[in-house]
Amino acid sequence: MRSIEVEEMFDKRRSALILVGHGSTLNPDSSAPTFQHVDEIIRRDAFAEVHGAFWKEEPSLREVLYMVESDHVYVVPNFISEGYFTETVIPRELELSGPISHRMGKTIGYCDPVGNDPRMVDLVLQSARRVAPHVPADQASLLVVGHGTSLNEKSAEATLRQVREIRRKGWYAEVEEAYMEEAPFIADWRKNTSHHYVIVVPFFIADGLHSYQDIPVLLGIEPEPTVAASHQEVFRRNPHRLDGRELYYAMAIGSEPSMADIILDTVDRFQQKHSSETAPQTGESRDIMVAWEECQRGEAASLLRDRKLQA
Amino acid sequence: MSNDELRELIQAGYHAIGELEFAETPDGYRLYHRRDRHSLSETTVLRSPEDARQVAKYDRSGAYRPLKGAPNLPSGWRLELPDLNALRRALDYFYPAALGTWRAFREKNARVVSLRRTLDRQTGMYRIAQKITTEQAENLVQKFCSSDGCCLRTILWGIEPDRPSVFLSRSKSDPSVDQTGEGRRIIPYLCLEGCNLLVGAARKVVLAQRKTEASPF
Repeated sequence: MRSIEVEEMFDKRRSALILVGHGSTLNPDSSAPTFQHVDEIIRRDAFAEVHGAFWKEEPSLREVLYMVESDHVYVVPNFISEGYFTETVIPRELELSGPISHRMGKTIGYCDPVGNDPRMVDLVLQSARRVAPHVPADQASLLVVGHGTSLNEKSAEATLRQVREIRRKGWYAEVEEAYMEEAPFIADWRKNTSHHYVIVVPFFIADGLHSYQDIPVLLGIEPEPTVAASHQEVFRRNPHRLDGRELYYAMAIGSEPSMADIILDTVDRFQQKHSSETAPQTGESRDIMVAWEECQRGEAASLLRDRKLQA
Repeated sequence: MSNDELRELIQAGYHAIGELEFAETPDGYRLYHRRDRHSLSETTVLRSPEDARQVAKYDRSGAYRPLKGAPNLPSGWRLELPDLNALRRALDYFYPAALGTWRAFREKNARVVSLRRTLDRQTGMYRIAQKITTEQAENLVQKFCSSDGCCLRTILWGIEPDRPSVFLSRSKSDPSVDQTGEGRRIIPYLCLEGCNLLVGAARKVVLAQRKTEASPF
């Protein structure tokens, strides 16, 4: 890439941001966190333009580039993990060829999903504390719940990363992972947790059918899913008393106000990483990026090893 | 579409899109539902482009409205917007990418994709939609995308890459036609390729057929 092009691309005020959410054809609340962050980033005047785009809502990933005026575009997946959507669906629908693509006369930078940010673990802990402020952590099991899918093993990897990090802090008596579509399954929480207090935090961006209906049914705190998709009653009935235990069920973490900072930092990291590919960088920022990438690689490899051992 | 381009359109006499109409006022721009054209003083005043997002989210009965081209926008409101930028944003919330796709179409930069190509790139739960036949797809689109109650977009694509979309009425593929039937001079809401909802509906057609074939009765 020519250096002048790099310079222009790295000027956020002359670039567009597209924040990509999953969206839903059934649940009106699914796109809310993405639009919340779009509004906040517009308010901060950080980019020339900011758009939300969705897999299952409009504007679609196929159409959003027609809305963009700027020549340089950053795409940030508002997704909790790398996986099927970030590696297959989004690049395919936007026709991206790698971290930097050229399409429709625009240069498009494809950033990491927001869930890769190291502060996600803080959001999980905040959520756990908010839903069960009086529960002593040293007597509680914390269950971090992810989607998990056979389509891509990285989906569960991100959840396990949070679990390992929280375990390392040693605050909770027990920290476990559980998934909707792969083992260890959410429905087995009774045997996979051992303490009286159980705090369940969905490691999801948006509250929706999964957090309103599917997970509560799997946990046994709701009967079959019959309520309207946008009902949030399930979060207001804590604690749920089941089999002599107290279960606290938290909301998804993607609506936290600090997510806007995380999105902007995600773009900064992309800039730092790819400017180092084209122009020599000096000093601290390069060292930080090298350390960050090594840390990510090491963590991913170690997580994969763990999962294979467990399997 | 830039603000200047939108200004030029307004000056050229374009004041309608989908179910909406807009007009210049001494204080900026007014955007409203066509049904409120003669009773604007009785409507609720909204002032932010983001209000458009909320209005567009639910239909007249309060049900979620996932398809923005559906002809069921609620009426009874008007947006008083301070400038062209706010009008453009509000229009983008009501009819996402309509302004941009139309500009690309006029500049011959719009890329139209046949339904077959859209289906062929699907993976995961939507992969099975690839099995829909041409005839099934034509029947589906005629019902699912009809301007009469389903979607006001102007369809530019066909089912198969090498065949014209003769299964649709000419008016459904003509960007100069007001899909509400009112005959206004409109900014069209173009459909350059089948949406996720249509892909989902194609999947259901294939699944239903498999179920029928598997049934002993």
